[in-house]
Parts: sequence; structure tokens; C-alpha cells
Amino acid sequence: MTTTEQTDGIVGRGNRDGAALFRDWFAELNEVAENGGRAAYVFVMGSLNEVLKTFDLPVVFPEINSLQTAVRRVAHEYLDVAEDAGYSPDICGYVKADFATQIQDGRHPMGRIPKPALTVYTNACNTYIKWAEIWERLHKIPLFTLDVPGTRQGGLITLGGDVDFENDKRYVKAQLLELIELCKKVTGKPFDIDRLREVMGFANTMSRGWKRVLELNAKTPSVFNALTDGTIYLGVANGMRGTPEGAKYFDDLVEEMEYKAANGIGTLTDEKYRLVFVGVPCYPIFRRFNELFTEWGGTFVNSTYLWFASGGTNRGFEYDLADPLDSLAEGLLISVRDAMDSMFHQDRVLNEVIDDFGIDGVVYHPIKSCRTTSTGMADSRRYLMSQRDIPTLFIESDMMDRRVVSEAQLKNRSDAFFEGLAARKAQAGASAPS
Amino acid sequence: MSITAGIDVGSTYTKAIVLEGDSVIGMAMKATGFKLTEVSEAMFDAAIADAGISREEVQYTIATGYGRHQCKVKDLAVTDLTAAARGAHFFFPATRTVLDIGGQTMKATKIDESARVKSFRLNDKCAAGTGAFLEKTARYMGFTTEEIGGLMDTSKEHVTISGVCAVFAESEVINHLSQGTSPADIMQGSADSLSARSVQLLKRVKAEPEYTLIGGLLRWPRMVDTIAGQLDAEVNAPAGEMVQYTGAVGAALLGRIRLNKLAEKDAVEQTA
Repeated sequence: MTTTEQTDGIVGRGNRDGAALFRDWFAELNEVAENGGRAAYVFVMGSLNEVLKTFDLPVVFPEINSLQTAVRRVAHEYLDVAEDAGYSPDICGYVKADFATQIQDGRHPMGRIPKPALTVYTNACNTYIKWAEIWERLHKIPLFTLDVPGTRQGGLITLGGDVDFENDKRYVKAQLLELIELCKKVTGKPFDIDRLREVMGFANTMSRGWKRVLELNAKTPSVFNALTDGTIYLGVANGMRGTPEGAKYFDDLVEEMEYKAANGIGTLTDEKYRLVFVGVPCYPIFRRFNELFTEWGGTFVNSTYLWFASGGTNRGFEYDLADPLDSLAEGLLISVRDAMDSMFHQDRVLNEVIDDFGIDGVVYHPIKSCRTTSTGMADSRRYLMSQRDIPTLFIESDMMDRRVVSEAQLKNRSDAFFEGLAARKAQAGASAPS
Repeated sequence: MSITAGIDVGSTYTKAIVLEGDSVIGMAMKATGFKLTEVSEAMFDAAIADAGISREEVQYTIATGYGRHQCKVKDLAVTDLTAAARGAHFFFPATRTVLDIGGQTMKATKIDESARVKSFRLNDKCAAGTGAFLEKTARYMGFTTEEIGGLMDTSKEHVTISGVCAVFAESEVINHLSQGTSPADIMQGSADSLSARSVQLLKRVKAEPEYTLIGGLLRWPRMVDTIAGQLDAEVNAPAGEMVQYTGAVGAALLGRIRLNKLAEKDAVEQTA
């Protein structure tokens, strides 16, 4: 194989394969729906795929379904349906797009979405609970809440051996045993602990790979764009968690990123400014939003979205397969807690990322229809700026609702941000010793 | 001496300036309307006609303002924040904070001693705290935009306008009129309300003196006095029409800087 052939095969593979896996996944869901089958409805911040896949339950991520309507530029049609039914313009756009999907018999641009057999969610997002209650009313299904204790004090991370941690772990494990009983009842299948080990083994490969992929972006030039490419990888990290396809994907992705890092192959952007993104992407103008930054040579090399929206699996926690239930409880506790911290206390990690990733600027993106990720962001920004001499940008739009996305206003702010970054670089260059 | 031009395609007015060295030799202004390309070119031509020169004599042109990307006669586009900072620094070199209140936006910018933007805050999500609010208030009472300054000057007793929402202003204005309040006092009350919002924005950038106020709303001296009073500080405002042209002047000055850099680069290349 020549070098060119090798490059052609490896570079960009993560994006191609990710898109293909997504198409296959939605095709399978469509088939389930057409055959009258049902699925487990789950969320990105603690999907519990490990347990659900053990019972061979197809999984639906309503958050992913909803954001896909925005990326495919039809979200407004869904939002209108939900608002006509009485939902307020001010609430979560994901909830509304999903509600519209539910009352339109699962109609979705990527195929038909099956109805739920049960729903499983964590307390990482307060909206999850009220959202699931809608399905309970519509479909008369059981709800399962996994209550994961969060960080008791900002910056105080407890781990194994700590009395609070051990108590929290027992609490999570007891809930997992309840979930297993519920899955047995819903599916009519017995629980197979060896099957759980197998699923957790695939999840281990994915978590390990995800952590490594994110670490590799500390290289200059960055090997992927955390806002665009990263969102594709994130989709696989969630949707295929605990599957052989997901594990292979992340093995391949690590190989691709290692290859790019070793050969100095960066993103398509001529990287002048390395940025970190805080918040949820602007899906209604997903590509264009990114261009506001790449036009100036700005690349997102990291993103808090890739942390919290992967349920904290970016930490790379690997389960001990010798004691699967105990380890699953520990892993969920550590990862979901970290996802919550990535939303509410991200300033501490950002402080480290600024150094480790050579960050030139931090872009905060609060959005109208997600209070969970946006509340407190202005304070976090102010705190970070009090700690570090780092330029920041604060731009507001939405993850779903194009009515509150103003490209001209976004551009005016991003242009001013880059003019400041350029002046700062020029000044630093002028004062650098020759 | 170099000749450069600055075109500020604002949301309400488009302004063009031609500079020869530090001297303004031509200027033009017109309501922006909705044909941004045409109005920017028309104002560019009007300003060079005012200067008595031809297009070919303008060595560099920079566009700024919301419509800057639609301007086809530019060499470069910069944001209104950067242009305003340069313009304010030109008129008042000790400026450290710029407050720009235009027809649709309000911007507070903190700058360094070299006129570089250090931080900024914008209010551009709604008409509250912008010229549009005052215009609507005037219109509800049957006055034109150009009569706002005169109205404020005749105010004797300020009334409190609780909100700055341009949509809800009508009901509040009607309420005051029904109580026999004079239009002049209502107008001044609106200016007070808007001014309070501008001071809030200044606090958010941790504003420091000297403060320089620019933009269409500051063409009324009473507005400058109102903000100075609420800020409890001395403020600068470019004289006469220049308060509206500051962004365009800044753009033209940036054009001159760019021109000098290009000349230096050519000189280095020729030497090499």
C-alpha cells in the first residue's frame, strides 16, 4: 500500500463511518417501528446502554432525534406542532421536537421512530424527568429514574475508598438492581450477567478510545474540529455504546487520530487560533456557525459538549469485568457526576485545558431553550476571566429554534472577538524577544 | 499625504468619510434603507465628490457597521467596535471606554492606550436602549426623529418611564399623556430610561475614564448631558456631526494604518 492510499483510507474515516453507522442505526429503528416494536428511550447523560443492551433493547435517544431535525433544517415544523399543542416557546426545543414526533406517529427525517417500551434517565438534566412524564402519559410506560449523587462541593471530587463515595456507590448499585428487574419484566427475558460483561467490555473500548481521541487534539495542528467532527464522534459514543460496532469504530478512530497526529495532518482550517467551546452547538446553522470561526483561522480543539453530552465517558472510566455490577455503579457515579460538573463547574477543567491545549480563546454559547447548560454560564465566564488573562466570547443563540438565531449578530461579535485576538497576537509577536 | 476612506454602513444611517492625513476632506450621510450595496457605494461617491477628488485618488477604503460585508467598494471590512475605538481615540486620545448608541444597537467597549479593543458588551437583541426606542416614543406623540432633541431641551420636569421596551412604550406614553404630562417631559423620561440602560452596559465592561460617547443618539447635547449625569462623570463627545461619523473616521484611519503596513512590506520585499 502506498502512503497516499493509506492516507486516503484513514483520514476522514471517522466522519464517513460515523455517518454510515448513524444511517444504519436509524434504519434499524425504522424497521422496529414499522414492525410495531418498541424501544428503550434514553438520554445522553447516563444512557445505561450497558444494562439495556444486555436485554437486547433497541435504544432511542430523543435528544439526538430532535437535534437531527435542526441539522436537517426542519426543526421549526416540529416546534410549531408542539407549540400549537400548547407548549411554550420558552421551553426546551428538544422536548418540543420530540413531542411533535410522538404525536405524528414517529415521523422523522431519518426514518420512523419506534414508540417507547420504557424510559430510563438520570437526574443530570432536570428536564429529563418532566420530559419522560410526557411519554408516561402518552404511552402508559414505566419510567425509571437513576438518581446519581452529584459533587457535594465545587472542586471536591470523591473517589473509591471515601466514605461518601462508597455510600453513593451502594445507592447507585441498588438502583441498578431495580432497573434490571424492570428490564426483565418489560422484555420477559432473564438477566445474563455474562452478556452484561460482554456489553461492558465493548463500552470499555469505547471509553478508552474516546478519552484518547480527545487527548490527541492537544497536538498542533489539532487533528479534528471539536465542534463539527467531534459531534459525529459523540453521536457514535452515545448511540453505539456497548456494541461491537461502536468498539470497532473507536479503535479505528484512535488509529486515524494517531496517524494524523504523527503526520502533522490537521483539520481543513489553517489553524491560527485554538479555541475551546462551552455549551451546546447551534444546530439550526451548524456549518455556518462553525465557519464564523474557521473563516478567521479559528479551530475548536476542545468542547465541554463532548464531555457532558457523552455522559462523562470522556473520562475514560473502564469497568472491572470481574465485578460488573459494582463496577458499573462506580463508573456511572464517576461519569455522570463528571457530566454534571462539566455543565455547572466547567471553569476548573477549562483552566487546565487552556494550558494543556494551548488555547487562545474561550467561546461561551448559552442557548435560549436549555436552561440546564446555560444558567450560570455568564458567572462561569466572569470567574474564568478573573483567574486567567484569556479572551472570551459570549454569544447567544439556540440549539433548535431558528427564530432566535441571528447570524448577523453572531458574526458581529465573532468578528470583533477575532480582531481582538489578532491584535493580541500581533502585540505578543512585537514584544517577543528576537 | 495619503487619502483613505471609511464607510460605516449602520443599521439606520450610512456614513462615509474621506481623510487626507488627519483632515476630513469629504463626508456624506444617508438613511441606510434596505439596499446596502447601493447606499454604501452612493455615500462613497458622495463623500469623494464632497472632497473634490476622483475614486482613483482614494488609496484604501475600509467598510464597517452591520452592512460592511455588503459594501462592494471596500478593500477591507472591520467591525464597528474596532472602527469606533480608533475613531474615539482619534478625537480623544485618552479614551478608555467608548459608548456607541445607534439606531438599533448599543455598544460599550473598553480600549487600551493604543485604541485596541480589550472587551465589549453589546445590546443588540431588542430595540430597548437604542435609538429605535426614542424614535417610537416620539412617533407615538406625533413628532419626528429630528424633533427629539428640541423636545428634550424644553423639558421642565422629568417623568419616570419604567421600561425601555419599544413595543410597550406606546401604552406607557398614552398613560402619561392622559395624565396631562407634556410630550417634552415624556421624551426626557424616555432618554433617562435609555441612559440608565447604557450605564448598566458600561458597568458590565468595567468602564474606566475617559468616556467617549458616539453614535446617532448623541447628536442631541441633552442626551450627552443625561448620560454624564447618570454616570456621574465627565464625558467626551465629538463635536457636531462628527459624533455620528466617528466609526467612519475610525475606519478611514485604520485604512491609513493598513496602507502604511503594505508600504513597509513592499519596501522590505524590494530591499530583500
